[in-house]
Amino acid sequence: MTGNYGVGIGWRPEIAGFVAQLPGLRFAEVVAESVHAHGELPRGLSELRERGVAVVPHGVKLSLGGAEPVDPARVTHLATVAQRLEAPLVSEHIAFVRAGGVEAGHLLPIPRSREAVDAVVANVRRTQAELDVPIALEPIAALFDWPDDELDEGAFLTEILERSDALLLLDVANVYANARNRGADPAELFDRVPLERVAYCHVAGGSAHDGVYHDTHTDAVPQEVLDLVAQLCQRRRPPALMLERDGDYPPAAELSAELDAIATASGYPAVT
Amino acid sequence: MPALAAQGDTWGIPGTTFVLLYLTAVVAVAVLAAVHRSILFAGTRGAHVDTLGPQQIAYLNGGDRLAVYAALGGLRGANAIATAPDKTLRQSGPMPSGVTPLDTAVYNAAGKRIRARDVVTDAWVRSALDDLRAGLEANGLAVSAAALRTARMWFFAGLALVVFGVMRLFSGLANDRPVGFLFFGIVAAVLVTFTLRRGARHATTAARKSMAQVRRQYDYLSPQQSPSYATYGAAGAAMGVALFGAASLYAMDPAFAAEAEIQRQTAGGDGGGTVGGGDSGGSSCSGGSSCGGGGGCGGGGGGCGG
Repeated sequence: MTGNYGVGIGWRPEIAGFVAQLPGLRFAEVVAESVHAHGELPRGLSELRERGVAVVPHGVKLSLGGAEPVDPARVTHLATVAQRLEAPLVSEHIAFVRAGGVEAGHLLPIPRSREAVDAVVANVRRTQAELDVPIALEPIAALFDWPDDELDEGAFLTEILERSDALLLLDVANVYANARNRGADPAELFDRVPLERVAYCHVAGGSAHDGVYHDTHTDAVPQEVLDLVAQLCQRRRPPALMLERDGDYPPAAELSAELDAIATASGYPAVT
Repeated sequence: MPALAAQGDTWGIPGTTFVLLYLTAVVAVAVLAAVHRSILFAGTRGAHVDTLGPQQIAYLNGGDRLAVYAALGGLRGANAIATAPDKTLRQSGPMPSGVTPLDTAVYNAAGKRIRARDVVTDAWVRSALDDLRAGLEANGLAVSAAALRTARMWFFAGLALVVFGVMRLFSGLANDRPVGFLFFGIVAAVLVTFTLRRGARHATTAARKSMAQVRRQYDYLSPQQSPSYATYGAAGAAMGVALFGAASLYAMDPAFAAEAEIQRQTAGGDGGGTVGGGDSGGSSCSGGSSCGGGGGCGGGGGGCGG
Protein backbone atom coordinates (compact mmCIF):
# COMPACT_ATOMS: atom_id res chain seq x y z
CA MET A 1 0.00 0.00 0.00
CA THR A 2 1.23 3.43 -0.74
CA GLY A 3 1.15 5.80 2.18
CA ASN A 4 0.23 5.01 5.73
CA TYR A 5 -3.30 3.87 6.39
CA GLY A 6 -2.84 3.39 10.12
CA VAL A 7 -5.24 1.22 12.09
CA GLY A 8 -8.01 -0.60 10.26
CA ILE A 9 -10.48 -3.39 10.86
CA GLY A 10 -11.80 -6.47 9.10
CA TRP A 11 -15.24 -5.53 7.75
CA ARG A 12 -17.83 -8.19 8.49
CA PRO A 13 -21.61 -7.87 7.95
CA GLU A 14 -22.19 -8.64 11.63
CA ILE A 15 -20.36 -5.50 12.76
CA ALA A 16 -20.98 -3.29 9.72
CA GLY A 17 -22.78 -0.71 11.88
CA PHE A 18 -19.80 -0.49 14.21
CA VAL A 19 -17.27 -0.11 11.39
CA ALA A 20 -19.44 2.53 9.71
CA GLN A 21 -19.21 4.87 12.68
CA LEU A 22 -15.43 4.77 13.17
CA PRO A 23 -14.54 8.40 12.43
CA GLY A 24 -10.83 7.99 11.74
CA LEU A 25 -10.97 4.78 9.70
CA ARG A 26 -8.94 4.83 6.49
CA PHE A 27 -8.70 1.16 5.67
CA ALA A 28 -10.69 -2.04 6.05
CA GLU A 29 -10.50 -5.55 4.73
CA VAL A 30 -13.31 -7.73 3.41
CA VAL A 31 -13.38 -11.46 2.72
CA ALA A 32 -13.14 -11.51 -1.08
CA GLU A 33 -15.40 -14.54 -1.45
CA SER A 34 -18.20 -12.75 0.41
CA VAL A 35 -18.39 -9.99 -2.23
CA HIS A 36 -20.28 -10.70 -5.43
CA ALA A 37 -18.32 -9.85 -8.53
CA HIS A 38 -21.29 -8.28 -10.31
CA GLY A 39 -24.17 -7.99 -7.84
CA GLU A 40 -24.79 -5.01 -5.64
CA LEU A 41 -22.06 -4.27 -3.08
CA PRO A 42 -23.10 -4.69 0.56
CA ARG A 43 -24.34 -1.25 1.62
CA GLY A 44 -21.80 -0.93 4.42
CA LEU A 45 -18.94 -1.47 1.96
CA SER A 46 -20.16 1.01 -0.62
CA GLU A 47 -20.59 3.60 2.13
CA LEU A 48 -17.00 3.04 3.24
CA ARG A 49 -15.84 3.49 -0.33
CA GLU A 50 -17.83 6.73 -0.63
CA ARG A 51 -16.03 7.95 2.49
CA GLY A 52 -12.70 7.23 0.84
CA VAL A 53 -11.86 4.27 3.08
CA ALA A 54 -9.58 1.83 1.25
CA VAL A 55 -11.12 -1.66 1.20
CA VAL A 56 -8.81 -4.61 0.59
CA PRO A 57 -10.27 -7.94 -0.62
CA HIS A 58 -8.84 -10.81 1.38
CA GLY A 59 -9.11 -14.17 -0.39
CA VAL A 60 -9.50 -17.36 1.59
CA LYS A 61 -10.18 -19.95 -1.09
CA LEU A 62 -7.65 -19.44 -3.86
CA SER A 63 -5.45 -22.26 -2.55
CA LEU A 64 -2.18 -20.68 -3.70
CA GLY A 65 -0.30 -23.45 -1.92
CA GLY A 66 -2.00 -26.23 -3.81
CA ALA A 67 0.03 -28.50 -6.05
CA GLU A 68 -2.37 -27.84 -8.94
CA PRO A 69 -2.68 -24.46 -10.68
CA VAL A 70 -5.10 -21.94 -9.15
CA ASP A 71 -8.64 -22.03 -10.49
CA PRO A 72 -8.82 -19.27 -13.15
CA ALA A 73 -12.44 -18.49 -12.20
CA ARG A 74 -11.42 -17.77 -8.62
CA VAL A 75 -8.56 -15.56 -9.79
CA THR A 76 -10.95 -13.64 -12.04
CA HIS A 77 -13.34 -13.20 -9.15
CA LEU A 78 -10.59 -11.79 -6.93
CA ALA A 79 -9.42 -9.42 -9.69
CA THR A 80 -12.99 -8.26 -10.40
CA VAL A 81 -13.72 -7.62 -6.74
CA ALA A 82 -10.49 -5.63 -6.46
CA GLN A 83 -11.58 -3.48 -9.40
CA ARG A 84 -15.06 -2.97 -8.00
CA LEU A 85 -13.65 -1.84 -4.67
CA GLU A 86 -10.86 0.15 -6.33
CA ALA A 87 -8.63 -1.66 -3.87
CA PRO A 88 -4.99 -0.63 -3.54
CA LEU A 89 -4.04 -4.31 -3.22
CA VAL A 90 -5.44 -7.78 -2.54
CA SER A 91 -4.30 -10.48 -0.18
CA GLU A 92 -4.37 -14.28 0.03
CA HIS A 93 -2.86 -17.04 2.13
CA ILE A 94 0.17 -19.20 1.61
CA ALA A 95 -1.84 -22.34 2.22
CA PHE A 96 -3.97 -24.90 0.46
CA VAL A 97 -7.67 -25.42 1.00
CA ARG A 98 -8.35 -28.23 -1.48
CA ALA A 99 -6.51 -31.11 -3.07
CA GLY A 100 -7.63 -33.72 -5.55
CA GLY A 101 -11.08 -32.13 -5.67
CA VAL A 102 -11.65 -32.37 -1.93
CA GLU A 103 -12.42 -29.13 -0.09
CA ALA A 104 -10.72 -28.98 3.29
CA GLY A 105 -12.84 -26.07 4.46
CA HIS A 106 -9.79 -24.88 6.29
CA LEU A 107 -6.46 -23.25 5.58
CA LEU A 108 -3.85 -26.00 5.63
CA PRO A 109 -0.10 -25.50 5.88
CA ILE A 110 2.19 -26.56 3.06
CA PRO A 111 5.56 -28.22 3.59
CA ARG A 112 8.46 -25.76 3.50
CA SER A 113 10.24 -27.49 0.65
CA ARG A 114 11.85 -26.03 -2.48
CA GLU A 115 9.23 -27.86 -4.54
CA ALA A 116 6.48 -26.14 -2.56
CA VAL A 117 8.15 -22.75 -3.08
CA ASP A 118 8.13 -23.39 -6.84
CA ALA A 119 4.43 -24.32 -6.76
CA VAL A 120 3.43 -21.28 -4.70
CA VAL A 121 5.47 -18.89 -6.82
CA ALA A 122 3.93 -20.30 -10.00
CA ASN A 123 0.43 -19.84 -8.57
CA VAL A 124 1.17 -16.32 -7.34
CA ARG A 125 2.46 -15.39 -10.80
CA ARG A 126 -0.69 -16.80 -12.43
CA THR A 127 -2.75 -14.68 -10.07
CA GLN A 128 -0.66 -11.55 -10.54
CA ALA A 129 -1.12 -11.85 -14.30
CA GLU A 130 -4.82 -11.02 -13.89
CA LEU A 131 -4.55 -8.49 -11.10
CA ASP A 132 -4.18 -4.75 -11.66
CA VAL A 133 -2.86 -4.28 -8.13
CA PRO A 134 -0.20 -5.94 -5.96
CA ILE A 135 -0.95 -9.05 -3.94
CA ALA A 136 0.12 -9.53 -0.34
CA LEU A 137 0.69 -13.07 0.89
CA GLU A 138 -0.19 -14.19 4.38
CA PRO A 139 1.56 -17.11 6.07
CA ILE A 140 -0.80 -19.11 8.27
CA ALA A 141 -0.69 -20.45 11.78
CA ALA A 142 0.00 -24.15 11.97
CA LEU A 143 0.16 -26.48 14.90
CA PHE A 144 2.66 -28.78 13.26
CA ASP A 145 5.59 -28.79 10.83
CA TRP A 146 5.82 -31.21 7.95
CA PRO A 147 8.60 -33.79 8.35
CA ASP A 148 10.16 -32.94 5.00
CA ASP A 149 10.66 -29.23 5.66
CA GLU A 150 13.86 -28.06 3.98
CA LEU A 151 13.61 -24.38 4.87
CA ASP A 152 12.78 -22.53 8.05
CA GLU A 153 9.80 -20.17 8.11
CA GLY A 154 11.88 -17.05 7.46
CA ALA A 155 13.81 -18.46 4.50
CA PHE A 156 10.66 -20.03 3.06
CA LEU A 157 8.72 -16.76 3.13
CA THR A 158 11.62 -14.65 1.92
CA GLU A 159 12.17 -16.89 -1.07
CA ILE A 160 8.50 -16.90 -2.07
CA LEU A 161 8.17 -13.13 -1.68
CA GLU A 162 11.34 -12.29 -3.56
CA ARG A 163 10.79 -14.73 -6.40
CA SER A 164 7.18 -13.66 -6.93
CA ASP A 165 7.80 -10.00 -6.04
CA ALA A 166 4.76 -10.11 -3.76
CA LEU A 167 4.04 -8.15 -0.61
CA LEU A 168 3.72 -9.66 2.84
CA LEU A 169 0.60 -9.69 4.98
CA LEU A 170 2.06 -10.43 8.36
CA ASP A 171 -0.35 -11.83 10.93
CA VAL A 172 1.21 -10.87 14.23
CA ALA A 173 -1.12 -13.20 16.12
CA ASN A 174 0.01 -16.09 13.89
CA VAL A 175 3.63 -15.26 14.52
CA TYR A 176 2.89 -15.28 18.22
CA ALA A 177 0.91 -18.53 18.05
CA ASN A 178 3.53 -20.36 15.98
CA ALA A 179 6.39 -19.28 18.23
CA ARG A 180 4.55 -19.95 21.46
CA ASN A 181 3.43 -23.41 20.43
CA ARG A 182 7.00 -24.28 19.43
CA GLY A 183 8.65 -22.59 22.39
CA ALA A 184 10.48 -20.08 20.18
CA ASP A 185 10.91 -16.30 20.40
CA PRO A 186 8.23 -14.74 18.18
CA ALA A 187 10.21 -11.59 17.43
CA GLU A 188 12.97 -13.68 15.86
CA LEU A 189 10.93 -14.05 12.68
CA PHE A 190 10.94 -10.26 12.22
CA ASP A 191 14.69 -10.41 11.60
CA ARG A 192 14.32 -13.20 9.06
CA VAL A 193 11.67 -11.81 6.70
CA PRO A 194 11.84 -8.74 4.47
CA LEU A 195 9.94 -6.25 6.63
CA GLU A 196 10.05 -3.68 3.84
CA ARG A 197 7.61 -5.92 1.97
CA VAL A 198 4.97 -5.82 4.70
CA ALA A 199 1.83 -4.28 3.21
CA TYR A 200 -0.24 -4.58 6.37
CA CYS A 201 -0.65 -6.66 9.48
CA HIS A 202 -3.42 -8.71 11.00
CA VAL A 203 -3.84 -8.47 14.75
CA ALA A 204 -6.21 -11.00 16.27
CA GLY A 205 -7.10 -12.71 19.50
CA GLY A 206 -6.79 -16.29 20.57
CA SER A 207 -6.98 -18.57 23.54
CA ALA A 208 -4.98 -21.40 25.02
CA HIS A 209 -6.40 -24.89 25.50
CA ASP A 210 -4.42 -27.74 26.98
CA GLY A 211 -1.21 -25.77 26.62
CA VAL A 212 -1.76 -25.07 22.92
CA TYR A 213 -2.49 -21.52 21.78
CA HIS A 214 -5.22 -21.28 19.14
CA ASP A 215 -5.43 -18.28 16.86
CA THR A 216 -9.22 -18.17 17.08
CA HIS A 217 -10.12 -14.62 15.97
CA THR A 218 -13.02 -14.91 18.40
CA ASP A 219 -11.24 -13.88 21.60
CA ALA A 220 -9.71 -10.67 22.84
CA VAL A 221 -6.24 -9.70 21.58
CA PRO A 222 -3.80 -10.76 24.32
CA GLN A 223 -1.27 -8.29 25.68
CA GLU A 224 1.56 -10.50 24.39
CA VAL A 225 0.35 -9.97 20.81
CA LEU A 226 0.11 -6.20 21.37
CA ASP A 227 3.65 -6.25 22.77
CA LEU A 228 4.75 -8.07 19.63
CA VAL A 229 3.07 -5.37 17.53
CA ALA A 230 5.12 -2.78 19.40
CA GLN A 231 8.33 -4.77 18.81
CA LEU A 232 7.56 -5.05 15.11
CA CYS A 233 6.86 -1.32 14.83
CA GLN A 234 10.16 -0.52 16.57
CA ARG A 235 11.98 -2.44 13.84
CA ARG A 236 9.92 -1.15 10.95
CA ARG A 237 6.37 0.10 11.22
CA PRO A 238 4.02 -1.40 8.62
CA PRO A 239 1.85 1.02 6.62
CA ALA A 240 -1.30 -0.44 8.18
CA LEU A 241 -2.41 -2.80 10.94
CA MET A 242 -5.90 -4.16 11.39
CA LEU A 243 -8.00 -5.88 13.98
CA GLU A 244 -9.20 -9.21 12.63
CA ARG A 245 -12.24 -10.50 14.46
CA ASP A 246 -14.35 -13.27 12.96
CA GLY A 247 -17.00 -14.13 15.50
CA ASP A 248 -18.26 -13.91 19.05
CA TYR A 249 -18.16 -10.17 18.61
CA PRO A 250 -17.92 -8.22 21.87
CA PRO A 251 -19.72 -4.98 22.79
CA ALA A 252 -18.72 -1.94 20.73
CA ALA A 253 -16.75 -0.48 23.64
CA GLU A 254 -14.50 -3.55 23.74
CA LEU A 255 -13.89 -3.48 19.98
CA SER A 256 -13.03 0.22 20.27
CA ALA A 257 -10.63 -0.52 23.13
CA GLU A 258 -8.88 -3.18 21.02
CA LEU A 259 -8.52 -0.75 18.10
CA ASP A 260 -7.13 1.85 20.50
CA ALA A 261 -4.69 -0.67 21.94
CA ILE A 262 -3.39 -1.45 18.44
CA ALA A 263 -3.06 2.30 17.80
CA THR A 264 -1.10 2.73 21.02
CA ALA A 265 1.16 -0.24 20.33
CA SER A 266 1.90 0.92 16.80
CA GLY A 267 2.03 4.67 17.44
CA TYR A 268 -0.67 5.37 14.85
CA PRO A 269 -3.53 7.75 15.68
CA ALA A 270 -6.68 6.24 17.19
CA VAL A 271 -9.52 5.72 14.72
CA THR A 272 -12.36 5.40 17.22
CA MET B 1 -87.42 6.98 -28.35
CA PRO B 2 -86.23 6.93 -24.73
CA ALA B 3 -86.28 3.63 -22.98
CA LEU B 4 -89.32 3.52 -20.83
CA ALA B 5 -89.87 1.23 -17.97
CA ALA B 6 -91.30 -1.84 -19.51
CA GLN B 7 -93.90 -3.86 -17.78
CA GLY B 8 -91.56 -6.64 -16.68
CA ASP B 9 -88.60 -4.53 -15.41
CA THR B 10 -87.52 -5.38 -11.88
CA TRP B 11 -88.39 -2.50 -9.57
CA GLY B 12 -89.48 -0.66 -12.70
CA ILE B 13 -85.89 0.06 -13.77
CA PRO B 14 -84.48 -1.52 -16.94
CA GLY B 15 -81.57 -3.93 -16.33
CA THR B 16 -78.89 -2.03 -18.29
CA THR B 17 -79.79 1.28 -16.66
CA PHE B 18 -79.56 -0.30 -13.22
CA VAL B 19 -76.21 -1.94 -13.95
CA LEU B 20 -74.79 1.36 -15.25
CA LEU B 21 -76.02 3.26 -12.21
CA TYR B 22 -74.77 0.50 -9.94
CA LEU B 23 -71.29 0.50 -11.47
CA THR B 24 -71.17 4.29 -11.27
CA ALA B 25 -71.94 4.03 -7.56
CA VAL B 26 -69.21 1.41 -7.06
CA VAL B 27 -66.64 3.57 -8.83
CA ALA B 28 -67.76 6.63 -6.89
CA VAL B 29 -67.35 4.82 -3.58
CA ALA B 30 -63.90 3.57 -4.62
CA VAL B 31 -62.67 6.99 -5.73
CA LEU B 32 -64.16 8.97 -2.86
CA ALA B 33 -62.88 6.44 -0.34
CA ALA B 34 -59.38 6.59 -1.82
CA VAL B 35 -59.32 10.39 -1.71
CA HIS B 36 -60.81 10.59 1.75
CA ARG B 37 -58.49 7.93 3.17
CA SER B 38 -55.42 9.57 1.67
CA ILE B 39 -56.44 12.79 3.44
CA LEU B 40 -57.20 10.95 6.69
CA PHE B 41 -53.90 9.04 6.67
CA ALA B 42 -51.63 11.75 5.26
CA GLY B 43 -50.23 12.90 8.58
CA THR B 44 -48.06 15.98 8.83
CA ARG B 45 -46.27 16.55 5.55
CA GLY B 46 -42.51 16.52 6.02
CA ALA B 47 -42.73 14.92 9.47
CA HIS B 48 -39.65 12.81 10.19
CA VAL B 49 -39.20 9.62 12.14
CA ASP B 50 -35.40 9.68 12.25
CA THR B 51 -35.33 11.36 15.65
CA LEU B 52 -37.70 8.84 17.22
CA GLY B 53 -36.70 6.17 19.68
CA PRO B 54 -36.94 2.44 18.91
CA GLN B 55 -40.29 1.97 20.65
CA GLN B 56 -41.92 4.79 18.71
CA ILE B 57 -40.53 3.41 15.47
CA ALA B 58 -41.80 -0.01 16.52
CA TYR B 59 -45.30 1.33 17.18
CA LEU B 60 -45.43 2.86 13.70
CA ASN B 61 -44.28 -0.42 12.14
CA GLY B 62 -46.33 -2.88 14.13
CA GLY B 63 -48.51 -1.20 16.72
CA ASP B 64 -48.65 -1.86 20.44
CA ARG B 65 -47.34 -5.37 20.20
CA LEU B 66 -44.16 -4.47 18.30
CA ALA B 67 -43.56 -1.51 20.63
CA VAL B 68 -43.64 -3.95 23.55
CA TYR B 69 -41.36 -6.35 21.66
CA ALA B 70 -38.87 -3.51 21.08
CA ALA B 71 -38.91 -2.80 24.83
CA LEU B 72 -38.43 -6.53 25.52
CA GLY B 73 -35.51 -6.59 23.05
CA GLY B 74 -33.83 -3.60 24.68
CA LEU B 75 -34.33 -4.94 28.21
CA ARG B 76 -33.15 -8.38 27.16
CA GLY B 77 -30.11 -6.84 25.44
CA ALA B 78 -29.31 -5.11 28.73
CA ASN B 79 -29.77 -8.41 30.61
CA ALA B 80 -32.53 -6.86 32.68
CA ILE B 81 -35.15 -9.52 31.95
CA ALA B 82 -35.28 -13.22 31.19
CA THR B 83 -37.87 -15.95 30.90
CA ALA B 84 -38.70 -18.50 33.57
CA PRO B 85 -39.32 -22.19 32.72
CA ASP B 86 -43.09 -21.61 33.00
CA LYS B 87 -42.80 -19.08 30.13
CA THR B 88 -43.37 -16.09 32.34
CA LEU B 89 -41.04 -13.12 32.30
CA ARG B 90 -38.80 -12.32 35.22
CA GLN B 91 -36.35 -9.62 36.13
CA SER B 92 -32.80 -10.88 35.78
CA GLY B 93 -30.87 -7.71 36.48
CA PRO B 94 -31.23 -4.11 37.54
CA MET B 95 -33.23 -1.75 35.38
CA PRO B 96 -30.83 -0.05 32.94
CA SER B 97 -30.41 3.70 33.24
CA GLY B 98 -31.89 6.13 30.77
CA VAL B 99 -34.86 3.98 29.87
CA THR B 100 -38.24 5.09 28.52
CA PRO B 101 -41.54 4.99 30.43
CA LEU B 102 -42.54 1.93 28.40
CA ASP B 103 -39.29 0.17 29.40
CA THR B 104 -40.04 0.92 33.03
CA ALA B 105 -43.58 -0.39 32.67
CA VAL B 106 -42.48 -3.58 30.89
CA TYR B 107 -39.69 -4.16 33.41
CA ASN B 108 -42.24 -3.75 36.18
CA ALA B 109 -44.61 -6.17 34.43
CA ALA B 110 -41.78 -8.72 34.21
CA GLY B 111 -41.42 -8.38 37.97
CA LYS B 112 -45.03 -9.54 38.29
CA ARG B 113 -44.12 -12.78 36.52
CA ILE B 114 -46.65 -12.49 33.71
CA ARG B 115 -46.38 -13.98 30.26
CA ALA B 116 -44.88 -11.87 27.49
CA ARG B 117 -48.11 -11.97 25.50
CA ASP B 118 -50.00 -10.53 28.47
CA VAL B 119 -47.60 -7.63 28.95
CA VAL B 120 -49.58 -5.53 26.50
CA THR B 121 -52.66 -5.80 28.74
CA ASP B 122 -50.85 -4.72 31.93
CA ALA B 123 -52.39 -1.46 33.14
CA TRP B 124 -49.08 0.41 33.50
CA VAL B 125 -47.89 -0.82 30.11
CA ARG B 126 -51.21 0.20 28.53
CA SER B 127 -50.88 3.67 29.95
CA ALA B 128 -47.30 3.98 28.65
CA LEU B 129 -48.44 2.80 25.22
CA ASP B 130 -51.30 5.31 25.20
CA ASP B 131 -48.86 8.13 25.96
CA LEU B 132 -46.50 6.92 23.28
CA ARG B 133 -49.27 6.79 20.68
CA ALA B 134 -50.67 10.18 21.70
CA GLY B 135 -47.27 11.79 21.16
CA LEU B 136 -46.96 10.22 17.71
CA GLU B 137 -50.50 11.28 16.76
CA ALA B 138 -49.81 14.85 17.86
CA ASN B 139 -46.81 14.91 15.54
CA GLY B 140 -48.78 13.61 12.60
CA LEU B 141 -46.89 10.31 12.52
CA ALA B 142 -49.49 7.88 13.85
CA VAL B 143 -52.99 7.38 12.48
CA SER B 144 -55.51 8.15 15.22
CA ALA B 145 -58.24 5.74 16.23
CA ALA B 146 -60.81 8.35 15.18
CA ALA B 147 -59.32 8.56 11.68
CA LEU B 148 -59.39 4.76 11.42
CA ARG B 149 -63.05 4.71 12.48
CA THR B 150 -63.92 7.36 9.93
CA ALA B 151 -62.04 5.51 7.21
CA ARG B 152 -63.89 2.33 8.05
CA MET B 153 -67.20 4.05 7.24
CA TRP B 154 -66.33 3.54 3.59
CA PHE B 155 -66.29 -0.17 4.18
CA PHE B 156 -69.92 0.04 5.24
CA ALA B 157 -70.72 2.12 2.16
CA GLY B 158 -69.25 -0.64 0.05
CA LEU B 159 -71.10 -3.28 2.03
CA ALA B 160 -74.39 -1.45 1.49
CA LEU B 161 -73.79 -1.51 -2.27
CA VAL B 162 -73.13 -5.23 -2.16
CA VAL B 163 -76.31 -5.89 -0.18
CA PHE B 164 -78.29 -3.67 -2.49
CA GLY B 165 -76.93 -5.44 -5.55
CA VAL B 166 -77.69 -8.87 -4.12
CA MET B 167 -81.27 -7.82 -3.37
CA ARG B 168 -81.70 -6.70 -6.95
CA LEU B 169 -80.13 -9.95 -8.13
CA PHE B 170 -82.67 -12.06 -6.26
CA SER B 171 -85.55 -9.85 -7.37
CA GLY B 172 -84.34 -10.19 -10.94
CA LEU B 173 -84.05 -13.93 -10.69
CA ALA B 174 -87.52 -14.15 -9.16
CA ASN B 175 -88.73 -11.94 -12.03
CA ASP B 176 -87.06 -14.26 -14.52
CA ARG B 177 -84.87 -11.45 -15.94
CA PRO B 178 -81.24 -11.81 -17.12
CA VAL B 179 -78.77 -10.93 -14.30
CA GLY B 180 -75.35 -11.72 -15.83
CA PHE B 181 -74.04 -8.12 -15.98
CA LEU B 182 -75.39 -7.37 -12.54
CA PHE B 183 -73.53 -10.38 -11.18
CA PHE B 184 -70.21 -8.95 -12.41
CA GLY B 185 -71.16 -5.57 -11.00
CA ILE B 186 -71.63 -7.19 -7.59
CA VAL B 187 -68.27 -8.91 -7.89
CA ALA B 188 -66.71 -5.47 -8.51
CA ALA B 189 -68.50 -4.10 -5.45
CA VAL B 190 -67.25 -7.00 -3.33
CA LEU B 191 -63.67 -6.38 -4.47
CA VAL B 192 -63.86 -2.66 -3.71
CA THR B 193 -65.42 -3.36 -0.31
CA PHE B 194 -62.72 -5.89 0.46
CA THR B 195 -59.94 -3.33 -0.12
CA LEU B 196 -61.76 -0.88 2.19
CA ARG B 197 -61.89 -3.47 4.90
CA ARG B 198 -58.19 -3.07 5.75
CA GLY B 199 -57.67 -3.39 9.47
CA ALA B 200 -55.26 -1.59 11.72
CA ARG B 201 -52.90 0.93 10.28
CA HIS B 202 -50.42 2.73 12.50
CA ALA B 203 -48.15 4.98 10.46
CA THR B 204 -49.30 7.97 8.47
CA THR B 205 -48.13 8.35 4.89
CA ALA B 206 -45.62 10.98 6.02
CA ALA B 207 -44.19 8.58 8.60
CA ARG B 208 -43.97 5.74 6.08
CA LYS B 209 -41.98 7.86 3.66
CA SER B 210 -39.50 8.81 6.34
CA MET B 211 -39.39 5.23 7.63
CA ALA B 212 -37.81 3.94 4.42
CA GLN B 213 -34.85 6.22 4.97
CA VAL B 214 -34.43 5.14 8.59
CA ARG B 215 -34.58 1.51 7.55
CA ARG B 216 -31.73 2.15 5.12
CA GLN B 217 -29.75 3.93 7.81
CA TYR B 218 -30.06 0.93 10.13
CA ASP B 219 -29.69 -1.63 7.37
CA TYR B 220 -26.90 -3.27 9.38
CA LEU B 221 -29.46 -4.35 12.00
CA SER B 222 -31.41 -6.39 9.45
CA PRO B 223 -31.44 -10.07 10.45
CA GLN B 224 -30.12 -10.83 6.97
CA GLN B 225 -26.79 -9.31 8.06
CA SER B 226 -26.75 -11.56 11.15
CA PRO B 227 -25.90 -8.49 13.21
CA SER B 228 -23.85 -8.88 16.37
CA TYR B 229 -26.35 -7.65 18.96
CA ALA B 230 -23.65 -7.85 21.62
CA THR B 231 -21.74 -5.20 19.67
CA TYR B 232 -24.72 -2.94 19.04
CA GLY B 233 -25.98 -3.17 22.61
CA ALA B 234 -29.47 -2.80 24.03
CA ALA B 235 -30.34 0.21 21.87
CA GLY B 236 -29.32 -1.67 18.73
CA ALA B 237 -31.38 -4.68 19.77
CA ALA B 238 -34.45 -2.51 20.34
CA MET B 239 -34.02 -0.69 17.03
CA GLY B 240 -33.52 -3.99 15.21
CA VAL B 241 -36.85 -5.25 16.53
CA ALA B 242 -38.51 -1.90 15.77
CA LEU B 243 -37.42 -1.85 12.13
CA PHE B 244 -37.18 -5.49 11.19
CA GLY B 245 -39.80 -7.09 13.41
CA ALA B 246 -39.86 -9.96 15.83
CA ALA B 247 -37.47 -11.92 13.61
CA SER B 248 -34.76 -9.76 15.16
CA LEU B 249 -35.67 -11.06 18.62
CA TYR B 250 -35.37 -14.62 17.34
CA ALA B 251 -32.02 -13.82 15.74
CA MET B 252 -30.76 -12.14 18.89
CA ASP B 253 -31.89 -14.64 21.51
CA PRO B 254 -33.82 -17.59 20.07
CA ALA B 255 -34.32 -19.27 23.44
CA PHE B 256 -35.74 -16.13 25.02
CA ALA B 257 -37.96 -15.36 22.01
CA ALA B 258 -39.34 -18.89 21.93
CA GLU B 259 -39.98 -19.06 25.67
CA ALA B 260 -41.61 -15.66 25.63
CA GLU B 261 -43.82 -16.91 22.77
CA ILE B 262 -42.92 -13.95 20.61
CA GLN B 263 -45.02 -13.92 17.44
CA ARG B 264 -42.87 -13.71 14.35
CA GLN B 265 -45.36 -11.84 12.19
CA THR B 266 -45.62 -8.42 13.69
CA ALA B 267 -44.25 -5.84 11.31
CA GLY B 268 -47.02 -5.43 8.74
CA GLY B 269 -45.33 -7.36 5.95
CA ASP B 270 -42.63 -4.80 5.21
CA GLY B 271 -40.47 -5.70 8.13
CA GLY B 272 -37.26 -5.80 6.21
CA GLY B 273 -37.59 -8.64 3.78
CA THR B 274 -37.04 -6.25 0.93
CA VAL B 275 -34.14 -4.36 2.38
CA GLY B 276 -30.75 -5.08 0.89
CA GLY B 277 -27.86 -6.87 2.46
CA GLY B 278 -28.83 -10.27 1.22
CA ASP B 279 -25.75 -10.34 -0.91
CA SER B 280 -23.25 -10.35 1.86
CA GLY B 281 -22.28 -13.78 2.89
CA GLY B 282 -24.45 -15.21 0.20
CA SER B 283 -23.68 -18.70 -0.89
CA SER B 284 -20.10 -18.49 0.28
CA CYS B 285 -19.84 -20.87 3.14
CA SER B 286 -17.39 -18.59 4.86
CA GLY B 287 -20.27 -16.23 5.61
CA GLY B 288 -17.95 -13.34 6.03
CA SER B 289 -15.47 -15.08 8.25
CA SER B 290 -11.98 -15.35 6.91
CA CYS B 291 -11.60 -18.79 8.36
CA GLY B 292 -12.63 -20.50 5.17
CA GLY B 293 -15.90 -22.02 6.19
CA GLY B 294 -16.43 -25.64 7.00
CA GLY B 295 -13.85 -26.17 9.65
CA GLY B 296 -14.85 -23.15 11.65
CA CYS B 297 -12.59 -21.06 13.77
CA GLY B 298 -10.30 -22.63 16.25
CA GLY B 299 -12.06 -25.91 16.05
CA GLY B 300 -9.15 -28.01 17.14
CA GLY B 301 -7.29 -27.80 13.88
CA GLY B 302 -5.12 -24.96 14.97
CA GLY B 303 -7.46 -22.04 14.51
CA CYS B 304 -7.99 -19.91 11.50
CA GLY B 305 -4.45 -19.24 10.67
CA GLY B 306 -5.70 -16.36 8.61
